[in-house]
Amino acid sequence: MALEDYRADAMRCNRCSYCKWIPQDRIKSWEFAKGCPSVDYRHFHAYSGGGRLVAGLSLTDGRSEITDELIDVVFECTLCGSCDVSCKVCRYDMHPLSGAKEFRHYLVDKGAVPAAYPGIIAKLRDTGNMAGAPQAKRADWAEGMGIKKLGVDTDKAEVLFHAGCLYSFNPALRNVVQSSARVLAKGGLDFAIDGDERCCGGKAYDMGYRDDFAAAAKANLEKWAAAGVKTVVSPCATCFWTFKRLYPTVAGDDYGIEILHTTQVADRLIKEGKLKPTKRVPMKVTYQDPCHLGRQGEDYVPWHGEEKKIFGQAVVYDPPRPRYNGAFGVYEPPRDVLKAIPGVELVEMERNKEAAWCCGGGGAVPQAYPDFADFTASKRLDEAQSTGAEAIATACSSCNRILGNAKAADGGTMKAIDVLELLEQSL
Amino acid sequence: MALSNEAYEALQAIVGERNVTRDPAILDGYALQMLVELVRPNCGHYMPRAGAIVMPGSTEEVQAIVKAANKYNFGVKPHGTGWYHWASPMYDPGTRYGDEKDTVQLDMRRMNSIEIDEKNGIAIVGPYVIHAQLHAEAIKRGWSCNIIGAGSSCSVVAAACAYSGIGAGTMWMGGNAENVLGMEWVTPSGEIVRNGSLGSGDGWFCGEGPGPSVRGIMRGTLGSRGGMGVYTKCAVRLAHWPGSTDWNVQGTVPAYRLPLDKTFRVYTVAVPTWDAWTDLYYKIYDNEIGYTLHRQYNLAGAELAPAFWLMYTDPTKQLSDLPAMLDEPGMAELTEEMRISLQIVMAGRSEADAELQDKVLDKILEEVGGWKVEKYCTQDMAEFTNMYMNRLGHKEINYVYAGNYIGSWMQAGTPDWVKGYIPVAAAGYERDYRNGLLVQAGGDSMMGTVGAYPGGGIMGLEQFVSYDGADHESTAAAWYHMDDAVEDAKTINYPPGKEALYIEMRYTDEQAFDKWSKSKQPWTYVFQREIRKRYDPNYVGDRQYNWIPEEWERGEKHASTPIMPGPGRPQPAPEGYPTI
Repeated sequence: MALEDYRADAMRCNRCSYCKWIPQDRIKSWEFAKGCPSVDYRHFHAYSGGGRLVAGLSLTDGRSEITDELIDVVFECTLCGSCDVSCKVCRYDMHPLSGAKEFRHYLVDKGAVPAAYPGIIAKLRDTGNMAGAPQAKRADWAEGMGIKKLGVDTDKAEVLFHAGCLYSFNPALRNVVQSSARVLAKGGLDFAIDGDERCCGGKAYDMGYRDDFAAAAKANLEKWAAAGVKTVVSPCATCFWTFKRLYPTVAGDDYGIEILHTTQVADRLIKEGKLKPTKRVPMKVTYQDPCHLGRQGEDYVPWHGEEKKIFGQAVVYDPPRPRYNGAFGVYEPPRDVLKAIPGVELVEMERNKEAAWCCGGGGAVPQAYPDFADFTASKRLDEAQSTGAEAIATACSSCNRILGNAKAADGGTMKAIDVLELLEQSL
Repeated sequence: MALSNEAYEALQAIVGERNVTRDPAILDGYALQMLVELVRPNCGHYMPRAGAIVMPGSTEEVQAIVKAANKYNFGVKPHGTGWYHWASPMYDPGTRYGDEKDTVQLDMRRMNSIEIDEKNGIAIVGPYVIHAQLHAEAIKRGWSCNIIGAGSSCSVVAAACAYSGIGAGTMWMGGNAENVLGMEWVTPSGEIVRNGSLGSGDGWFCGEGPGPSVRGIMRGTLGSRGGMGVYTKCAVRLAHWPGSTDWNVQGTVPAYRLPLDKTFRVYTVAVPTWDAWTDLYYKIYDNEIGYTLHRQYNLAGAELAPAFWLMYTDPTKQLSDLPAMLDEPGMAELTEEMRISLQIVMAGRSEADAELQDKVLDKILEEVGGWKVEKYCTQDMAEFTNMYMNRLGHKEINYVYAGNYIGSWMQAGTPDWVKGYIPVAAAGYERDYRNGLLVQAGGDSMMGTVGAYPGGGIMGLEQFVSYDGADHESTAAAWYHMDDAVEDAKTINYPPGKEALYIEMRYTDEQAFDKWSKSKQPWTYVFQREIRKRYDPNYVGDRQYNWIPEEWERGEKHASTPIMPGPGRPQPAPEGYPTI
């Protein structure tokens, strides 16, 4: 695909502004009706899903040029996909999220990116991870835990536990990845980690650096093939999404690797009776749906088709194109895990599941537009506070980090805790 | 005259640099608009570009912007949520009457306050509060609100103050324009006018006084649609909500459900003939049943709608599944069963009231020979309809087939009168879509309210004609469908419908003045000229607030500008060309 391929989307956009709100039916209050952090922060229509498509049309029509403001329009967005869900409430022929990503790729090709981006990508290229940390420290989090390492303890592993860059290198998140691994091991899952684990490449893709993503994907796929990996489990929602939704585009339709999030595995182990949460964890929690696990976490469906028309002018795809409208994201497994923990009271925020408000951590926004990331997180914390919860549970390294550090409008903070950390407390 | 740097700096000083832009790509986000390709040369996709986009944060900032417009000679065009081509600046060089001037677009996003007077059932809202927000806040308090037919994503202030605001709930709750209990208006000359009881300092409880009642001045013939100053706040009357105050959304995107309270009944009802259809309407009016009523589902077209909504409510299906669903056993019979149908939500004040309304509806159906469409009255479909009709959160289904539609006809009148244009509208639609350049969804695809005023009596039907705005030929077909609909109406001595309003968007000011000076009631435009003289002496607004200058009134001057050329008529369908 290219930016030009989204011209028809722009011309078919009727500017209804659904993309700015959560699905209209789901609106339960004035305060928590908005869906798009980007347009809520910058206000101009161009900062919405539909507006970006039109900005792309304008650019490819030769009516406008690349400016610093246009770079902000394209990159000051968390790529959370709320616009996509709401647009598709009434449309089968619009793709604002993938259009936004294509726009980034277009600008990367032109060298028009936020100032922070080249440095981040340079780190990825130099070190193989987004943190720019020494790769030798990649598996330090697992020291002393007795976890098998590929290439050290074994050459083969059917199940690979992929920690992800943030969990591997951020000391503040180390307890999450360790809890996750311990819980899965306690449930009897036989898995290994890769001591030389490489970045999944998902962040590079979202930034628009497709070649860097592809290089990361190929490297990982080759390793997995050599190790006989059949299942990859990750506690990171972005890694999960990258493996599930992006890797098949590199590996091909016969990808064949099962991708699971740790909450899905834990849920399965609980339901199979292999994990028995018995200890009370008295805590009222609300749950933050990570965008990459929730509305963007639907199964990948191979599609190689084309647009065609029926009934004269109705636009459809032959064969039918996967909708990816958030209907079948991973919503229930993390909730079921929380509900299985004695003493935990789960209270929902108004905007949840496909209508969840982003934490602010997506789309490489914290790196390039930290004030916008803080704004977005603060709004989410306001909503979390409104539930009366003591803590905000999540299942994503970005959500955990940003919400854990955020301040609500009243200056209040809230503990962010991973679903599997809570689960471990009950085992 | 292009917006000067001095003027731009003045705008920055008023709203802050962050809230004003003239970056071309961002400006084009406001220039691309619904229906634009049907009114622009060569079916172009952009309305004239604004000189700048400005986002005021208060009434005082709006006032300062408008005063700057008078000082620096630029036009002002506000919009709420910005949906419709007439929300945009509308002048190319040489097409505006009087001075050439750039227009600044006001995006009212930052003015989104809401206040509910729960005791008195009054809501006071800023221009960027949408109906869904107001509805949600009202429901929590046991109130509801009329939601404009365009759907819940539209601005309450825009619907109430700048247009007519009619929707599925109007028969029970009144139209938004009628429900206004006070408005705050920044005139094009920069005055702040507060009308009704608000104007006399007595708060928001009555739009007509005590205090100045300038409702007619502000609204004009059809609502000013951004052409006459800026509405910065209004109060609207809320309506009783007899259902649960917990908006208990169920189901999977996109087809959410709202479970039925014990006092609610939700049906799709159908009749055998258009004569029975008019009788059905009159009997509903006379018996005062119902809460929200609309001929809603037929917007997908009489031939496709029955299968369409079954497809839509199954999250595993999509539009490409529709042809196969049409071939399913029983679908042809269902299509015939629903050919003349409407949706009705009845809300009783008690279970006994609901049962009574049920009996009344049954009796009405018996008398008109109608029936409930069983397939569309299952619990699942009833819950979907309950959500759809009460929130109107799916109205962008208007665009589901190809991204664009033009609503033709929609002349409002009594059901008997409306009935008179239905066969002509349906035949014209079929004629125009036969060559495959419009979506073939007929017999008719007429959708509309059951009552445009409280208690019913007046209603209208709009023909939903879908076209692909990314396809020049399809767009051209829609272009001429509008012209043809006007001619079709003439053949039965009906006035033109909504398409005539859209066609006017192709006009220069002079051409519009020519047309209006020859209308049956030109004094309306004269009257509005006098209002404009008082409130907009520098013509800061635009002709969406319709008016004619003196020389046109006297017949001394006529348009010298050429009519916008059409894109070229597509070939008609050959004889026997297959349709659906």
